[in-house]
Amino acid sequence: MNIELSDITRRFGRNVAVDGVTLDVGTGVLGLLGPNGAGKTSLLRMLATILPPSSGHLTLLGRDPRKPADRREIRRRLGYLPQNLGYYPSFTVVEFVEYFALLKEMPPHLVPKAVAAAIEKVDLGPKARAKLRTLSGGMLRRVGIAQAIVNEPELLLFDEPTAGLDPEQRVAFRALIRDLGQTATVIVSTHLVEDVGAACSEVALMSNGKVVFRGTPEELTARGEAGQGVGDAPLERGYSAILAAARSAS
Amino acid sequence: MTAVALSRPARVLRIEIRRSVVLWSVPLLAALFFFDSFRTVSGFAPVWTVRSSVLTTNMIEDFGPFAAGLAAWVASREGRRKTGDLLAATSRPAWARQLCALGATLFWLLATYLACVAAVYIDTALQATWGGPPLWPIAVGVVEVVTFAVIGFTVGALFPGRFTAPLAAIGGFLLAFIGYHAALGVQPGMSTYALLSPSTAVPLGDAGVFYHVAPDLAIAQVMFMGGITVGLLGLLTLAPVFRVSYRGLLAGISRAGRWLCVAGVALLAAGVAAAATAFALAGTAKPGVSGWDIPALHDAASDQPVPYTPDCAGIALPVCVQPAFSAFLPAAAAALQPAAAELKGLPGAPVRAELVSDGNGTRNTQGMLFAGMPKPGVSGAPPVYNFNSDNGMAPLWGSPAGTDNAGWRAGFQQVFLSAFVAGPPQAGADILTPAQQAVVTALMTAIGSPAPQFDEAFTGNGQVVGGATQAQIAAAAQRFGSLSPAARHAWLAAHLTALRAGTLTLNQLP
Repeated sequence: MNIELSDITRRFGRNVAVDGVTLDVGTGVLGLLGPNGAGKTSLLRMLATILPPSSGHLTLLGRDPRKPADRREIRRRLGYLPQNLGYYPSFTVVEFVEYFALLKEMPPHLVPKAVAAAIEKVDLGPKARAKLRTLSGGMLRRVGIAQAIVNEPELLLFDEPTAGLDPEQRVAFRALIRDLGQTATVIVSTHLVEDVGAACSEVALMSNGKVVFRGTPEELTARGEAGQGVGDAPLERGYSAILAAARSAS
Repeated sequence: MTAVALSRPARVLRIEIRRSVVLWSVPLLAALFFFDSFRTVSGFAPVWTVRSSVLTTNMIEDFGPFAAGLAAWVASREGRRKTGDLLAATSRPAWARQLCALGATLFWLLATYLACVAAVYIDTALQATWGGPPLWPIAVGVVEVVTFAVIGFTVGALFPGRFTAPLAAIGGFLLAFIGYHAALGVQPGMSTYALLSPSTAVPLGDAGVFYHVAPDLAIAQVMFMGGITVGLLGLLTLAPVFRVSYRGLLAGISRAGRWLCVAGVALLAAGVAAAATAFALAGTAKPGVSGWDIPALHDAASDQPVPYTPDCAGIALPVCVQPAFSAFLPAAAAALQPAAAELKGLPGAPVRAELVSDGNGTRNTQGMLFAGMPKPGVSGAPPVYNFNSDNGMAPLWGSPAGTDNAGWRAGFQQVFLSAFVAGPPQAGADILTPAQQAVVTALMTAIGSPAPQFDEAFTGNGQVVGGATQAQIAAAAQRFGSLSPAARHAWLAAHLTALRAGTLTLNQLP
């Protein structure tokens, strides 16, 4: 298992953002669904080793992120796209991706090829020398994806990766993460259930800091058909049915 | 070197250098340098020590606030641009990443600073006739720019925000301003800690010419600012510990890494120790032959006068100067020849004029008066007229071969004739008596120069000290000047002793 969470909790003052989550995730693509404030971003930030858990035990890629040496090794093999992508407007696309490849301590001789490959994968080749300040929101999102995948990570964390992408790019991205999921653990936090249906082999649904569902997209769809979910698509009905059940239980 | 051969830090540094915001400020810094530092230094004596003083005064006032502000802007970008999470998930430690950003900032700042230093030194080399470029001012200036930048960077990294950079720049300006004024006020017998500020008054015109400038103060300044820089780098290294210290210090240390904490504490301790040592050393500074000496750092062997062979010119009166002032020798010799001709054959008339040290070891290189500057005067046997660079040739610094030097020429002659008429320099004999003023006025008129002014002799109500008015002196001078040269010469030969003693009145002049 690349991710092992055992009763992980994260508090911000009195607010419990992540509440006793236990989760094991191996190779493949896991879609992380949930309403706003469910704790998805906090969970991803803990998986990205940015935020230490308040309690519980976390193992990533077989290492303990509390230990500085282990944490550094995890980060070398990690790709992360945060919800709000910060960037330096004066950098070009190549420089930005190269900058992160170097900060992830890739062997210098591998960097140029890896940067070019990552930029090609997100279809930004023609804009490789453009300054980031000249790019549209969707293109910037693709730059963010490129920096996340440049080091061919074993653990990839995407927070709302398709926000701002046009339909064509969204389809291309789904294909990309399906491909990445062949060899790595990919976690995609999203509000868009169609992304999950199209790209994820597994789904986890969070509500009030807890994981209230874990299964395949087909299982999620089945819950919608069996329950009283609302929505236009089968996955949406499953999503809303589980959330309604979780709310009534609490 | 190819791109592939570069190491990881070097490649990050290359990106940072290429995209550094400081690059956009280079033209502004260059313009500031030209209109402030370069134009100021062009009016200084073309003496290496004097010209190089601008490296740690005007240039730091130009560069310091910018260095602090720009570094703060660069350091705060992770907060402003919200790249914190993205960067925090990378394996390279934050201190290494910040070091590259700081390195790029320093690269452009120091490249610009050193280019400006080169401009000053090339200009000086084209005009200087003696000596070579001093290196200590460059070292002090470089360390000072680095210190300003590191202060700004630390502030920017710890308190990121859009107002951090302007506040850091204002802080840098105030720091330089306060340091400058504190250093100006240092006098022997007082607290000397303010000498740690390299920004201070312009040195005397012959600083470093007759005596070597001891590096004592420069060493202490480099140690002090270097200590602050190293200490702040330690603080930056420890910043991650402080960020999570709300969970307890041990948790913070555990999160940041033990070795990183050890390195941070070691840097902080080393920096504080160096700065504290330099502070203590500055407190022991004493005025020496060529500036401030710090006993623990001072090499007494450097107190010996600098040997030199003077350059001389002039027939009636050979005028000799230290080779550093050779450019001004023709003007000085030409000015003194007619005045010397008027005095030829008189008892005590100088046989030679010689440029001597401005302070003879009584003033420091920062231009502060310690024990009364020796007056120019005629002394010795055979009599020699001693003059110094500051009150002899300072007006010429900007244009040694200029044509608009009539005012300087008259003043130079007046000082020479006054020195002869007043006799050997002695304490309390600064002001000429009315009779002496009248004689000098007559001699000046005789050699074709304008009538001199003795402003220092007048009181507020226009009365001359000694009981004569300006009109009475002018009348006596006209009377004495109307004598034939031979008669004037004969009278002076007969009455010079009484004239010098101050016992003659205006009415006793022929």
